[in-house]
Amino acid sequence: MENIEQKILEVMKKVFEMDNIDKTCSQENCEKWDSLHHLTLITELEDAFDVEFEPEEIAEAKTFAKVEEFIKAKNNL
Amino acid sequence: MYIAYSGYDDVGIVPKDAEQFIWFYQVPFKTNISLLSAEIDTYFSKFQMIYNKVGTDKTFIVFSLENLFPLRLINNDFSVEQSIEKFNNEIIDFAEKNSNVKVVDFKDFLNKYSFDELVNWKFYFISQMQLNPKLAGDFQKWFKRKEAEIQLKRKKCIVLDLDNTMWGGILGEDGIDGIKIGGEYPGKAFLHWQEDLLELSKSGVILTVCSKNNEKDVLEVWEKNPFMILKKDSFSAYRINWNDKATNLQELAKELNIGLDSFVFIDDNPTERELIKQVLPMVSVPDFPQKPYELPKFFKQLVSEYFCVYKITEEDKNKTAQYKANAERVAEQAKFVNFEDYLKSLNIEIDILKADNFNKERIAQMTQKTNQFNLTTKRYTDADVQQKMDSGWHIYCISVRDKFGDNGITGTIFFTPKDQNDTVEIDSLLLSCRILGKGIEMALIHSLMNILKGNGVKSVTASYIPTVKNSQVADFYDKAGFEFLSEEHGAKTYSIDLNKSIEVKDYYQINYK
Repeated sequence: MENIEQKILEVMKKVFEMDNIDKTCSQENCEKWDSLHHLTLITELEDAFDVEFEPEEIAEAKTFAKVEEFIKAKNNL
Repeated sequence: MYIAYSGYDDVGIVPKDAEQFIWFYQVPFKTNISLLSAEIDTYFSKFQMIYNKVGTDKTFIVFSLENLFPLRLINNDFSVEQSIEKFNNEIIDFAEKNSNVKVVDFKDFLNKYSFDELVNWKFYFISQMQLNPKLAGDFQKWFKRKEAEIQLKRKKCIVLDLDNTMWGGILGEDGIDGIKIGGEYPGKAFLHWQEDLLELSKSGVILTVCSKNNEKDVLEVWEKNPFMILKKDSFSAYRINWNDKATNLQELAKELNIGLDSFVFIDDNPTERELIKQVLPMVSVPDFPQKPYELPKFFKQLVSEYFCVYKITEEDKNKTAQYKANAERVAEQAKFVNFEDYLKSLNIEIDILKADNFNKERIAQMTQKTNQFNLTTKRYTDADVQQKMDSGWHIYCISVRDKFGDNGITGTIFFTPKDQNDTVEIDSLLLSCRILGKGIEMALIHSLMNILKGNGVKSVTASYIPTVKNSQVADFYDKAGFEFLSEEHGAKTYSIDLNKSIEVKDYYQINYK
């Protein structure tokens, strides 16, 4: 689903205030992705996709790939 | 801005290089009431400890303490509430005595939401953050407005339509005793609204009128209708005619010497509002309520969006009278052919005062608000002013009066301390627009040069830094007899040798205090 990937990237760009974010982005390699921005990212993703993350998932969702995996699972995709 | 925050109760280190400090403690989520109230009772002394490390030269914003999730097992046990109240009272008293401490009423934000919206327990358990992160955007917007209030930024002038805005009905059709003001609803609602506006004007907001009516009819209503709270004298200026409102607003701005971006335009007619939005986009144009009973809510919205400030100064309280006296001065001016004769006739007195604890807030306020006659447009808080006073700067303000009235403190100038060559620099120089047009700026700068000379200063350097609003002073130093040194990107530097004699016109009476 090309669409979901694009939408996640858009949310990330908005939250981190960066233009050059791609699918390799993770908390490890992205300077802006600190604990405060992580919370903001989760709340924005919850709103954008109309889903809820569980606390255990929030702790894990620290790479683009993981975020995508959770969102697709929540949408049964 | 550089932001350092210490979370998780760590108050061991105070980052000295921060520009401002914020105390944002909220009541912790604990169910053991006696433990909780004992913990809250330690907050004030903790705060004082930090304050002592921070000192008096930086702004320190303190949030009132609030309980986001009150939980009481025993209904007559108010110990937590009492501890909270005690802290809040202590902090308000403390802020009264220490002017760099500013209290922000957090309830003002919280009241907009329900408990369920305020706390999201999922996020709390992951992050220890009490306030729901989904409110972060709203919170940021609200806090920005609070910071502006602390810096005493607000709109200066409100422009009011008359028919169906200040009273119900249309004057030209209903007549002076047929319009609805006072008595039964809807007259009662318009009366309440006029009372609200009167209070706004007492706080220093300038009231003006722009209405399509016959001036004669309106003057008659103002004089004869006993219910009218706002009358001719309540308004610093008015335009009652059949011209388009955009032109009228531009004239009002010119007459009062206030930028159009400081205007709020109130009109029940959406066509007029649209015209102003299109033609004068810098003017704020809120929607007017559909029903007169919605006016109190509308007024509250106006206050919080445009007019609320942290505190008001003496000058604010007298604004309406000052601006009116100015309009009379303009009329007087028309009678004189010779401008110097006119100036002589005004009996202008200028007090030059050293900055002190009584006027430093007004000085800071002027640096925040003055845009047009401002050579360098540096913005300072009262804490900044204090810091400069403490480190040997010479800061003066001026108070100007003439036979028409007292304008109060309306200008300020900052000199850096004398360097090894006995040179000082003018860091800031600004005057309120309402005293311009009387040569006061020249009298001031030249008098001060003579004071500095008396203090052993040999030369003074100065600069002009252009902004979108201060082009009127681009050649101020040239006119004042300073020598032009250099220019880079429109910013110009000057100096003046104090050996030469500097003359001040004798029709200004200058008092040094």
